[in-house]
Amino acid sequence: MLFPTVEYGLFFLSVLAIAWSLYRFPQVHKDFLLLASYVFYGFWNWTYLPLLIGISIFAGLVAQRIQRSQTTTAKKRWLIAGVVVCLAALGYYKYTSFLMTTLLQVWGRFAHPPHIQVYSPLLPLGISFFVFHAISLLGDCYRGKVKEPVQLRDALLYVAFFPQLIAGPILRASRFLPQLAVRRNPNHIRINRAFLLIVGGLFKKVILSNMLATRLVEPVFAVPQSYGAWDTLLAVYGYAAQIYCDFSGYTDIAIGCALLLGYRFPRNFNAPYTATDPQDFWRRWHISLSTWLRDYLYFPLGGSRSGKMRTYLNLMITMLLGGLWHGAAWTFVVWGGLHGSYLVVHRLWSRIGWAPLVRWRATATWRWISRILLFHAVCLGWVFFRSSTFSIAFDVFSRLRIPGPATLANGPVLLVLFLGLGSQFMPARWRNGFEVEMGRWPALARGAAVAVAIAAIEILGPTGVAPFIYFQF
Amino acid sequence: MQTIVHPIRQLALVVAGFVAAIVLLESQGLASWADHLDIGPLRTVAVPVTAVIKKTLEPLGIGSVREHAIQALARVGWSDDAALLADASGTAPSPSLTKPAECSVPSLANASNPPSIPGSKPGSTASSTHASVPGTAAAFSNATGSLTPLLASVPRTTDLAPLPPIAPGKPRVVALAGDSMMAVGLSATLLRQAAGNKDLRMIKAFRSGTGLARPEVFNWMDEYPAMLGAEKPDVVIVAIGANDGQGFVVDGKVLPYGSEGWQKVYQDRLASYLAMVSSTGAHVVWVGLPPMRIAVYNQKIAAINRIAYTVVSQSPQATWWNPVSFVGDDSGGFREFATLPNGQSMRLRATDGIHFSDEGAGLLTNVLMKWLDPPPPISVAGASATTPTPDQVQPAKPKHKGRHASKG
Repeated sequence: MLFPTVEYGLFFLSVLAIAWSLYRFPQVHKDFLLLASYVFYGFWNWTYLPLLIGISIFAGLVAQRIQRSQTTTAKKRWLIAGVVVCLAALGYYKYTSFLMTTLLQVWGRFAHPPHIQVYSPLLPLGISFFVFHAISLLGDCYRGKVKEPVQLRDALLYVAFFPQLIAGPILRASRFLPQLAVRRNPNHIRINRAFLLIVGGLFKKVILSNMLATRLVEPVFAVPQSYGAWDTLLAVYGYAAQIYCDFSGYTDIAIGCALLLGYRFPRNFNAPYTATDPQDFWRRWHISLSTWLRDYLYFPLGGSRSGKMRTYLNLMITMLLGGLWHGAAWTFVVWGGLHGSYLVVHRLWSRIGWAPLVRWRATATWRWISRILLFHAVCLGWVFFRSSTFSIAFDVFSRLRIPGPATLANGPVLLVLFLGLGSQFMPARWRNGFEVEMGRWPALARGAAVAVAIAAIEILGPTGVAPFIYFQF
Repeated sequence: MQTIVHPIRQLALVVAGFVAAIVLLESQGLASWADHLDIGPLRTVAVPVTAVIKKTLEPLGIGSVREHAIQALARVGWSDDAALLADASGTAPSPSLTKPAECSVPSLANASNPPSIPGSKPGSTASSTHASVPGTAAAFSNATGSLTPLLASVPRTTDLAPLPPIAPGKPRVVALAGDSMMAVGLSATLLRQAAGNKDLRMIKAFRSGTGLARPEVFNWMDEYPAMLGAEKPDVVIVAIGANDGQGFVVDGKVLPYGSEGWQKVYQDRLASYLAMVSSTGAHVVWVGLPPMRIAVYNQKIAAINRIAYTVVSQSPQATWWNPVSFVGDDSGGFREFATLPNGQSMRLRATDGIHFSDEGAGLLTNVLMKWLDPPPPISVAGASATTPTPDQVQPAKPKHKGRHASKG
């Protein structure tokens, strides 16, 4: 069930009504939400529901074993076993054909490879996300961050909770399980903030992302040879805006829905294109994933504790694997590798202690220059991320040198591009101010205002629903 | 003294305000949504409920405000819907395209082509290897109202009759038409291969998420002429039908997928679409649907292929072309990866098990490109080392070269 559909609207309103009617009975409330989450997932393909339930039960049981183990060695054994099984499931469904074709390519460099029939299982929706939730549960229990004994039903709901099930944000067990352990407090519902997030998310996803994808990005990335420099440049910027609006829009809707149900999700995007350096970018882009990689991959590898070279290596490994998480293709690995190298270069640059440079780096001028440089470095990576092959990526780059007019971008498309990128510079006080203002309106009027906004989105939006980029993960 | 409203009551009031307002503003949109649903329990409930709401609120005129807003947006170039853009700008579809009237009887035949024996074209010999088994085949009505057997099988391979040479300075206009089977893989590969080729001009006339089964969702009879504008294709390559394995409603009656009534109506719509894309005199290559990963879906696709082949084979301007010889396995089944002679693998189908991958589409488009713009007769190096030919990814099988009439 996709978020921007009438079906989801009907589903969510029903769940909202029933969930709050049951909030005085916490266990029944949670069981209902769990059932609703399985219905939500099964709407896509019920045959993969056992996989979701199986991974959840497995992670919950192993988490309990970790907590009950008396020695660190025993805890570690259970942790390793649990992580291996979870990653094996993810690896099987997502990387089987990638590993097989890569093996054949490497083998082919030395000798004629044997006949191996490459095989690729159908990818269960959201598997990259719910496996990471399972690993977070295991990791947080191992580190003692989950203070209370894990209840299996809570573990199931933590992994499968429908607002975040398909595409995040990736929740931390140590922060979400305590929410599940207590009865929902109606005073925690931030109605205005939730509806602003939902409406804003729908606007970004249904209108901005979709128009950029269909009118600007897809034509150029499908046939780069047909377009010149301006179209190509606008398409690259367009993709930067598209993926931001698509993904942040989706997670905003998820956060808003969870908020209406009384649960707090972490923020997942924080104006990433305003970042002035790569480290800042990853504190603002897909925050739940970057912090997950930091805490469950970068730190266990040693982080920055083992000297400069080891730090750089750890950064590269983390980002390369982060790229691979996004997709079973070398273009994603290269994207991750680019970001890893940006982080390394930034560290080297930051270490230069020459006084005039240090003063220059503190100026507003440098902040804007670095912002523009970083944005273009990120766009370079997006070309690989978006291209299905390296050949297409290099075609796109080569077209940037070919003079040619902008044929794809008319007024509305340019407006949408501006909104997609420029909205990130909107001061937070405007959003907060609007939320406060909205709080002064009568409740019925607020609901009507939300309806007007959604009706406007429906009129401005395309016919049908655009595919969501991150669904493929 | 300010009254503090309980948060849940407050939430309930906000939701109530939202529901009331959305029903008021979107009564037409909700009715349209219900109409577009797949046949099933949700549609059974939603259609009458939203119809009542729409009828009750129609006098308020909000629906017409919505329509005017959509038209105004189309005029400033906000929409990418070709028919909407054409309506908004007042441009009529190309006068060379004559849309057949909605058919209540099959219109496979026109005045110059009387109904023919299934499996053969008038004045031509059989062009494919198949057996028509009237006793076991499903049926459709022909122009006289009697049932004509649906062809029981489709040919594994079909030759494409040579096209007339391209006149200097007059590129061959090729329309790429269909649903996502054209949009994903095929069109991009064809467009890339044709980029910079001055002898070919490609026109995009495809749209994902569409089909022939549900004209109320997306009506190709309106959209195709709008997409063409003033263009008159010489060749149309069609790949459509992947979304058509569903029931629909005609005159208030539900026709479940696969029923006799469904087959008749679907075949009519297919024939109308074929007649429309052929109406400029274009030669049509109707690319069949490849085998699908999911067995249930694959059976539906096979049935749709039979209907399409039966209809297309009645037209002297059209050729039904089976992709299974390029991307299927030995038994004509789904194959995701092919093994090349050097031992490497090549992905033939997208990870969804439905669409072509770029490489898989390339196997078809290499042949199509050579057919659209044949290379000069001087011997050249042939396919590049990195581009395998269909023979290289298929086990050797004898090809049945059927006799065929020249369509040039």
